[in-house]
Amino acid sequence: MFNKKVSINSPRNLLFLFEILSLFLLLVSQWNNIEKTIYYIWIGLILIIYISNYLLNKISSGDNYIFLIVTMLMSIGIIMIYRIDPNLGMKQLLWLSGGIAVFYLTYFAIKLIRGWDRWITLYIGASYFLFIMTFLLGTRKYGAINWINIGGISFQPAEITKILVIFIIASYYNKPDVFKKYRYSDYILMGIIYSFIALLFLQRDLGTALIFYGIFLFVQFIYEEKRKLILYNIGLSSIGAILGYVLFDHVKIRIQTWIDPWSFIDNKGYQITQSLFAIAEGGFFGTGLGLGHPEFIPLAYTDFIFSAICEEMGIFTGIGIIMLFLILVYRGFKIALNQNNKFYKILAIGVSLLFGIQSIIILGGVLKLLPLTGITLPFVSYGGSSILSSFIALGILQVSSEDINYEGEEVVE
Amino acid sequence: MNRENKRIILILIALCICFTGLIGYMSYFQVFRAEKIKANSYNKRLWINEERILRGSIMDRNGNVLVYSEERDGAIQRFYKYGNLYSHIIGYSHREYGKSGLELIYNNALLNINENSAIDEIINIVAPTTVGNNIELTIDHGTQERARNLLQGRKGAIVAMNPKTGEIYAMVSMPDFNVNRLRDDWGTISEDVNSPLLNRATQGLYTPGSVFKVITAAAVLNTPGVETNYNCEGSTTIDGYSFSDYQNTAHGNLDLNQALIKSCNTYFTTKAVVVGEDKLRKTAEGFMFNSNIPFDLPVKNSTYPKGNLETTELAASGIGQGKVLTTPLNMVLTASAIANNGEIVKPILVKNVVSTNGKIIKSNRTETLSVAVDSLKASAIKEMMIGVVQTGTGSNASIRNVQVAGKTGTAENPSGKSHAWFIGFAPANDPKIAISVVLEEEGSTGGRSAAPIARDLIIYGLNNIKF
Repeated sequence: MFNKKVSINSPRNLLFLFEILSLFLLLVSQWNNIEKTIYYIWIGLILIIYISNYLLNKISSGDNYIFLIVTMLMSIGIIMIYRIDPNLGMKQLLWLSGGIAVFYLTYFAIKLIRGWDRWITLYIGASYFLFIMTFLLGTRKYGAINWINIGGISFQPAEITKILVIFIIASYYNKPDVFKKYRYSDYILMGIIYSFIALLFLQRDLGTALIFYGIFLFVQFIYEEKRKLILYNIGLSSIGAILGYVLFDHVKIRIQTWIDPWSFIDNKGYQITQSLFAIAEGGFFGTGLGLGHPEFIPLAYTDFIFSAICEEMGIFTGIGIIMLFLILVYRGFKIALNQNNKFYKILAIGVSLLFGIQSIIILGGVLKLLPLTGITLPFVSYGGSSILSSFIALGILQVSSEDINYEGEEVVE
Repeated sequence: MNRENKRIILILIALCICFTGLIGYMSYFQVFRAEKIKANSYNKRLWINEERILRGSIMDRNGNVLVYSEERDGAIQRFYKYGNLYSHIIGYSHREYGKSGLELIYNNALLNINENSAIDEIINIVAPTTVGNNIELTIDHGTQERARNLLQGRKGAIVAMNPKTGEIYAMVSMPDFNVNRLRDDWGTISEDVNSPLLNRATQGLYTPGSVFKVITAAAVLNTPGVETNYNCEGSTTIDGYSFSDYQNTAHGNLDLNQALIKSCNTYFTTKAVVVGEDKLRKTAEGFMFNSNIPFDLPVKNSTYPKGNLETTELAASGIGQGKVLTTPLNMVLTASAIANNGEIVKPILVKNVVSTNGKIIKSNRTETLSVAVDSLKASAIKEMMIGVVQTGTGSNASIRNVQVAGKTGTAENPSGKSHAWFIGFAPANDPKIAISVVLEEEGSTGGRSAAPIARDLIIYGLNNIKF
């Protein structure tokens, strides 16, 4: 019934239209401080998005919708970031262009290089290395030590570790029998993941810790033969959570401000209440781009971008964003179901879980449905490391959506 | 389908539930919670206009500035010249504690912002206003000050108004609070058992007691064929329940006139039963009971019990006891109705909203709300009320050279200490000022404690107000 070409073209054109219209709105609202160069960069980005979507359709035989969904998300994000701060918007434009490049790079690298399933030791080693680097070189930003600064560019190593964790888990469950030969290999894996989580706790990066835990638990739920391990995992994490609450003040504060931010409106509860004001003020249709007050929301361009979007574009746009994530996650899982190569299947699950859990945690956080943990909304928030790692993950998902004809070589003893 | 894929689908379903849960919660939040959250005074959006618009001044009827804003040290500040005097009328506009009174209700007028139409919004964006509108009150500052002094140290309320135009000259509720000391006093004010934040004049519901007899008298006159003569023996038993007069005084043979002058309880309880439930309720409703009085400040509705009343309850209602509750504002309207040939006019507190270049943007005009009784019966009741002050319970309100009409009330209530009431107007032949005084839990009679206050304020008002 539906011609494939038509069905992929029309959303692409709608996206194109959306970008043109919102660019026009931005030009009107920022009329007084517009620089000429911005036209070229914007038009450049719109073309890059259009062409990449078009090209991907030719290159990849897999799922062509996930990239389209992501470009829609990032379009909404960049419009909001540019509206809040044109300088950040310019930087984000560069990051997004870089992100798309990294997406293609990852796509070809994953596709052409074989043996990704055999380098588990490398992944583990690299993860620990990144953690050590963070502690040695790290600077504290927004209460968390998760940034390192090299040559003037600061980035979050944990963003890369996310991808590595997915690879570690995928490599392990791809061939559990190989590892089962060693005694307690399953406990060792759990120990490694828990050590990451503990390190993240020390860095006060609770959001990322939760993402690691979620990915690990769900993949374990799907593949672990020893079911009691899952119970151990849940039990251990509950104890860990309680211990974390008792031991760390920063955990306590998150819970307190989640239960009743209004009592701490001057200090600890300031961020979340400002976010709620913004969402409440927006109503269903929003105040209109440029007519709200995202400058009142702390970190409106990163963690709280969703609140800023809801204020100016209304919760209908907010619901739209949630639905885009829902479709992205749904397609990710569909890719996993259709993938016969187990390693790529687990990679697809891991990446979908990453997008799903991360967006649920931060969306629930800014809505005060969950305790607030400072993480970015993938593809929408400002931030180089976040954008790059999300596009790497997307590249992996893109490869996984294709038929993989080879089996990874047997590991020979 | 294999086990793996089934588990994958299970997790997908779980994530889908989370996402739809987010959408559901967000919609719930927007529909049920957003309004309240938006109104939180920590929401800076509420104050964004305040930072660039010079909030308008508020003046009394003679142009005395009561509240104004000024730019000092680069920030716009609000100055309340009289800390306590207007705490319930003008209220406050405070960063931490929000807004109240006219500051709240006339907020948009004071800031000259119009949020009605899309065109206005565009105008606001293109050419934002920087100066708000001024508000002219009907209040007479001197009368207001005198009224507060008269109530000093007591609990209660005073309302004085022009019975013909509805202009409020004074409206005081005690205890009050100092709007300039909100930050220091907020804890004490908000927890005080005497609720200083409550505007008793419009929102305090009191048992009216004998001042309600004015309304019962109107009901007697409204009902054809009621025997108006009665022999008072100091107490009467209705349906097994005994009603007695103040200090069990037997008033002997009375007509309606004498009954009101002497405030005879047995007379009015008996006549209330004769008049009947319907007639008495309809008359009370003509005097704005059970209905909303339109006003510039929030008003609680006075209540007259509805539904099938027990005979004893009907009798009690006839003397303003039982479940009858009223506000001081409603009682000043009751006195005004008698003064104004039976017509109740809308009470007015804000006379004009004036732009900075002197243009009147909005003004309140005199409006008739209800015809409580016809003019013949009104003048009959007026004669009786003159009698109350000349020879009856209200003699403490009498003034040399000026004829005052009034009615006292001593209302029993659950606290055990009676409320002292006085309502009235003067001069009786051409009423210029109507007044209602209530002293909450005063434990004394209206004639003894409320009437002298009314007298003082009427004298002051007649001599000083520019009518």
